[in-house]
Amino acid sequence: MTLVPLNDVQLDALKEISNIGMGHAATALSQLIGQTVHLKVPRITIADIADMPELVGGAEEVVVGITLQIFGDARGTILLIFPRESATQLLVRLVGKKPEDLIFDELSASALKELGNILASAYLSALGGLLHMTLIPSIPLLAYDMAGAVVDNVLIELSQEGDLALMVETEFHGQSPDDEVIRGHFMILPDPRTLDVLLEAGKGSYGG
Amino acid sequence: MGDKLRVGISDFQVARAPDILVSYGLGSCLGIVLYDARLQLGGLAHSLLPGARLGGVESRPAKHVEGAIRLMVEKLLAAGSDLRYLTAKLAGGANMFESLNPGAEEGIGARNISMGRKVLAQMEIPLLAEDVGGQHGRTIEFDLATGLLRVRSLRVGEITI
Repeated sequence: MTLVPLNDVQLDALKEISNIGMGHAATALSQLIGQTVHLKVPRITIADIADMPELVGGAEEVVVGITLQIFGDARGTILLIFPRESATQLLVRLVGKKPEDLIFDELSASALKELGNILASAYLSALGGLLHMTLIPSIPLLAYDMAGAVVDNVLIELSQEGDLALMVETEFHGQSPDDEVIRGHFMILPDPRTLDVLLEAGKGSYGG
Repeated sequence: MGDKLRVGISDFQVARAPDILVSYGLGSCLGIVLYDARLQLGGLAHSLLPGARLGGVESRPAKHVEGAIRLMVEKLLAAGSDLRYLTAKLAGGANMFESLNPGAEEGIGARNISMGRKVLAQMEIPLLAEDVGGQHGRTIEFDLATGLLRVRSLRVGEITI
């Protein structure tokens, strides 16, 4: 195991930092789809890599996954997971049409990637500002398939270091009662070696 | 009707007919099945990576294709099988995010596949069939009564190899 167990103060700091960052991401999403988006308070879990597919709804659940690498003063991976129905709802709002079956046309795929880009950038710029770090997202990549298959690509990098992943995760959902609810998972998976850097920087911002 | 035994990431299981071994949602992971038709005995492994990192001691050897095959063979031999009667099939090793690895040859899925083939060849276990590569996830069900491997995917449908 390469992850140092975190104490309560560290967990709180991480949670607070993420809350702010994800708040920015949710605001960006609200503006993009013209609908208020609510966030749950982020959960911080140290999960066994083997359990990750279950955490996003089950290995066979059909989802859209958008992933970005974090570069700069800290390294890690951002993974956004939308259940199929929510991705459809998002596309209706973003490009005005539903995808046919399992095929995204170029416009739809591009819109979803851009969505990932906006959410990740909002999160990273808030996080970076708070921690006085430069954090840059890579280009977004998209997959539309079974959750297990989407997640395992992302896990590979982490699995080279150990069997556990630290995951900062939140769910967000839209509000209008007449519409289908949009749900999603927003996950940050810092590289194990990066975690120390984040916590150290967090200390400065919060006085311990 | 036997049990459906689920094999998770970095794990493997050995069982006999009438059981069925299942692994859900393989992406770039590789599913490896070994079978002894004589005994209706076999195993399924779900591996993330091709080989162990240098100098590392793995808590879960089945995480790696190489370790998984060797462990499974060991367990099958202990259960009464013989290396001469073992056959293999492979499924998975896709490249899920289109441009994550521009040269598909370099992708982790492709490396898992070639490691699987290589280790099987070294151990002289015949590779009877495979459904590997591509850009889609797969769920696999290995029927120990018949040795058939059912591969299900959203994009390609269901095939049996």
